[in-house]
Amino acid sequence: MTNPIANSATFKTTPKWKKAFFSFEALLVVVLVVEIIIFNSTGTNFTTRDNLFEILRFSVVLGLLALVMTPVILTGGIDLSVGSLLGLSAIVFGKLWRDAGMDPWLAAICTLVFGAVAGGLNAVLITRLRLPPLIVTLGSFSLFRGLAEALTRGVDNVTGFPESFLFLGQGYLFGVIPAQLPIFILVAVGVWLLVHQTTFGRSFRAIGFSPEGARYAGIPVERRVAFVYILSGFMAALAALVYVAHYGQAKADAGSGYELLAITAVVLGGTSIFGGIGSVHGTLLGLAVLAVLRRGLTLSDQPAELGSILTGGLLLAVLAGEVLLKKFSSRRARVKTNAQVSQITPTT
Amino acid sequence: MPPLLQLSGVTKSFGAVRALKGVSFSLAAGEVHALLGENGAGKSTLIKVITGAHQPDSGTIAVDGETTGKLTPSTARTRGIAAIYQQPALFPDLTVAENIGLGLEKPSPFRPVRWAERRAHARELLQRVGANIDPETEVRNLSMPEQQLVEIARSLGAGARILIMDEPTASLTQKEVQLLLKLVRDLREQGVGIIYISHRLEEIFEVADRVTVLRDGESVGTKSAKEIDEPGLIRMMVGREVSSIYPPSESQPGKPVLRLENVGCSSSGVRGVSFEVRAGEVFGLSGLVGAGRTELARILFGITPADSGKILLKGDSIEIHSPRQAVESGIAYVPEDRRRHGVVLEMPIASNITMAIHPSFFPGSWLRFGKERELAEKYISDLQIKTPSSEAPGGSLSGGNQQKVALSRWLATHPKVLILDEPTQGVDVGAKSEIHKIIRKLAAEGLAVIMISSDLPEVLGMSDRIGVMRGGTLTRILDGPTADAHSVMSAALGQDEAGGIAA
Amino acid sequence: MKKYFREISVAVALGLLLLVLAIFAPDFFKPTQLLTILTAAAPVLLAACGVALVIMCRQIDISIGSQFALCSIFAGMAAGHGLPMPLVMLLAIFSGALFGAINGAFVAGLGLPSIVVTLATMVTWREALRWWREGEFVRDLPGSFQWFGFSQSTGQIVLLAVAGVVFLILVFALKHVSGGRFVYAVGSDAEAARLAGINPRLVTFCVFVLMGALTGLAALLNAIRFPDVDPKTGTGLELQAIAAAVVGGVAISGGRGKLWGVLAGVLLLACIAPALVFLRAEPQWERAIQGSIILLAVAADGWRSRKGKI
Repeated sequence: MTNPIANSATFKTTPKWKKAFFSFEALLVVVLVVEIIIFNSTGTNFTTRDNLFEILRFSVVLGLLALVMTPVILTGGIDLSVGSLLGLSAIVFGKLWRDAGMDPWLAAICTLVFGAVAGGLNAVLITRLRLPPLIVTLGSFSLFRGLAEALTRGVDNVTGFPESFLFLGQGYLFGVIPAQLPIFILVAVGVWLLVHQTTFGRSFRAIGFSPEGARYAGIPVERRVAFVYILSGFMAALAALVYVAHYGQAKADAGSGYELLAITAVVLGGTSIFGGIGSVHGTLLGLAVLAVLRRGLTLSDQPAELGSILTGGLLLAVLAGEVLLKKFSSRRARVKTNAQVSQITPTT
Repeated sequence: MPPLLQLSGVTKSFGAVRALKGVSFSLAAGEVHALLGENGAGKSTLIKVITGAHQPDSGTIAVDGETTGKLTPSTARTRGIAAIYQQPALFPDLTVAENIGLGLEKPSPFRPVRWAERRAHARELLQRVGANIDPETEVRNLSMPEQQLVEIARSLGAGARILIMDEPTASLTQKEVQLLLKLVRDLREQGVGIIYISHRLEEIFEVADRVTVLRDGESVGTKSAKEIDEPGLIRMMVGREVSSIYPPSESQPGKPVLRLENVGCSSSGVRGVSFEVRAGEVFGLSGLVGAGRTELARILFGITPADSGKILLKGDSIEIHSPRQAVESGIAYVPEDRRRHGVVLEMPIASNITMAIHPSFFPGSWLRFGKERELAEKYISDLQIKTPSSEAPGGSLSGGNQQKVALSRWLATHPKVLILDEPTQGVDVGAKSEIHKIIRKLAAEGLAVIMISSDLPEVLGMSDRIGVMRGGTLTRILDGPTADAHSVMSAALGQDEAGGIAA
Repeated sequence: MKKYFREISVAVALGLLLLVLAIFAPDFFKPTQLLTILTAAAPVLLAACGVALVIMCRQIDISIGSQFALCSIFAGMAAGHGLPMPLVMLLAIFSGALFGAINGAFVAGLGLPSIVVTLATMVTWREALRWWREGEFVRDLPGSFQWFGFSQSTGQIVLLAVAGVVFLILVFALKHVSGGRFVYAVGSDAEAARLAGINPRLVTFCVFVLMGALTGLAALLNAIRFPDVDPKTGTGLELQAIAAAVVGGVAISGGRGKLWGVLAGVLLLACIAPALVFLRAEPQWERAIQGSIILLAVAADGWRSRKGKI
């Protein structure tokens, strides 16, 4: 299939300020502002400090998954297993603490290692056997959730975690800042630096655009790809810890559907599903649009389903809008390079 | 009698860019009409207009003197127009018979598929082009020339009377080229009109009746192949004189840098290759496609690591298991497939140039954008890369300039050995000679250069010594200045004769 | 032989599973038991064939579970309003085709990636249904709805016959009708297809519509097995269907695959849950085993192609 998004987005000829003004991120900011204006008039107490922190609190778990999904999609891959792995990690953590009698913090560390290993399973299948990530992670999506169900026989919930651990998901620093927020900020800054300021991020893009091209440039493609899936597994486990601390229980269906939300946030944030193009700040904006929408609907006494429907609709509308907009506005820029582009890719 | 195909005043613009400016062109039945021009001269656009892939803004197209209306790919087909592209437009997952069938049958969705008929027809057509291919083979298991034959067979089956061949020999060996040219002549005898596009001038003189040269979207002129010579054609293409095609060798080869002892790799069919390359030397590697030249390069670059023999760099035995290790050892490889391997088309030139030097250029993995831009600008001016800025994506450049970016990437690694695989394939004449000058300059600076090329004059003109490969191994090493086309070809074909040093 | 390697190996795996069951749990082979398993698998087969077509076309559809649920509810409500069964069936198929057309319009019309489009429609349809029905079943269906108004055993056979006929038509069309070959052609190389006069966008669109129609029919065949319609039905169906297609040898890179393999894949996956019951294992393992089978199947593919290449 042709990829109009990738083609036109990369051939930048317009001046910088113009680019920023008409950029995808700017569009998201507009959507965000519109959301806030609407919810401020329909809902109660929407633009308050407490509500802001509530929104942040609710977006941390999803945010961790979305942040790490960004480099995954940048390499041209996808990780459908993060939601399932979140559930499985939650169960593993609960079992380690309750049944193996581990100290919660030791159990937490073991869970993080477990997450990385589970991500490693994806990584091995994808890099060693050169299998498509979509299908590998679809398989592990089933496998991880299935294991979580099997370990708990589908009914066993682990509850009663110590207060000190629950503080991570329910407590407030200095009385106002949700305790999970620092984790999120730390991860966000870390992933942003990784993607935008290091040779790792550069490699991810190169791999996303052209895996073979990256290999011939001496980039250790397999190691880099393996790294993002292991990181993804690790982050799913971290998200599981925050999740368990927030809700106070570890259950097998924790985080189901989160993979889809995370991908939505990333794609909404302007990352091309074909790889190569995208940014972490875009993902954060996409995440904000989603989180504000959900919170706003709740405060406006609208059913939660409406949030999901609007999310799906928004995703389609934004993508379709982008394609249509590109067709009209950048016709000239696109056409300028068209002669060459068509030579480059005679058979796409 | 009206010409088979007549284009009059065809104009085509993409936005503000005028790709074709009133081009007229005619093709008679039983004629081979060569179309020449540097990259970006408008050849591709012209073909696309003829095949109905693009609609011209103005001008007319007439087949058999009858003006066609709006041409679409399918109406062009029904009028007997067919095109063979560099990359065959075949379905890799389907059988040869089906590939031919799908191309010939009317594309209506509710027709029964007659498999036996398809196979029989395919067999008959394959015979007509002299191809010995089982119609039941899946196309992805065929070699590139075999795929081209399938495509030609398909076009013939479609009753093609106007056959457009776009660089059909780009990936073929000398022997395969001869077979193809013979086929072209046979088709001409059968009354097919052929538009033949190639960068290889000698082929054009061999088969073409007339030559039309395009430059900047305009037709510079049409000449009979008999009344023009090679320098004349080049003059028409570039609009200037290209005095000497190959720059003279200036360097004195020094000490051996790379030494191969019985190197082989069973999975890629290379065995027992021994030779050495000296500093300041251009070592040409010739042979038919499939002789194992690219495969040997891929061994040296660690893509398919060697499983036997020894590789010595400056006297030390080294192991190369990955491109990364090759880069660290000082071996650089500018691959044959520029678009897929040489340059990441979507990424800026600067990123492309630093891509192979991440660990050394960016200590601690932190990107340094200013330093990177400086380096890129240095190479852009050194190699005269024509680009608006170092941030322009690689894909926005012409073939020759892309090749220079690929070259810059590897020069930035400060290699000891530079392997160039078909460095001027698909590059226009002007850029070609610039690249040759760069190669010479690098060799003069003491680099050991291995140059793989299927372009015989290039190998002869550029190499200090010429290694000839055949059947996965190096069979002869010839002295560059004294070797001629005949001696290289006979070594490549395995006809043993005096004149070379047995290796 | 080599050409059918995948289909044969899945069939062998199925055979082995059946053999184990024959030795350790011969009760599995009681006709009523087998009929129940097959009637449960038949709707999945139709959905899996639809997905297989989509994958062959180098696309993916993960919204079929949601389409399935909506079509089931539509069919149930139509029957509840007293529509005759043939019309209910047509309505289910038509509504499915409509959902498919929406996906197809975004994918083929606008050129958006199918994974993102169907991800969005998956969430949207499912949540719209939840909002609309609030989890309420469609009850009080007329007697003509369950098992088409036949007795259970006759109904089961009718159901299998319908699914079987549709399957055979698909198999035939995919091999012996030009339109079927277009699907392979587009999946193998869309640009080459365009040059051969095939309209890849139209083919892709039609495949999505067909996929939707098959899902609609599958939803109806599934719904008539029960006295009322569950709005949560079809959850996870997309995975079952994709798993069956992939296990059955449909290449995720498009252009390759056979529906007979899909049939073998569906049967293999369908036997796992009952096999667990009969072998006295915990049924909660079903999903984990399903996931492992997908991974094993693709790993085997990867292993083979890797060995084949070098």
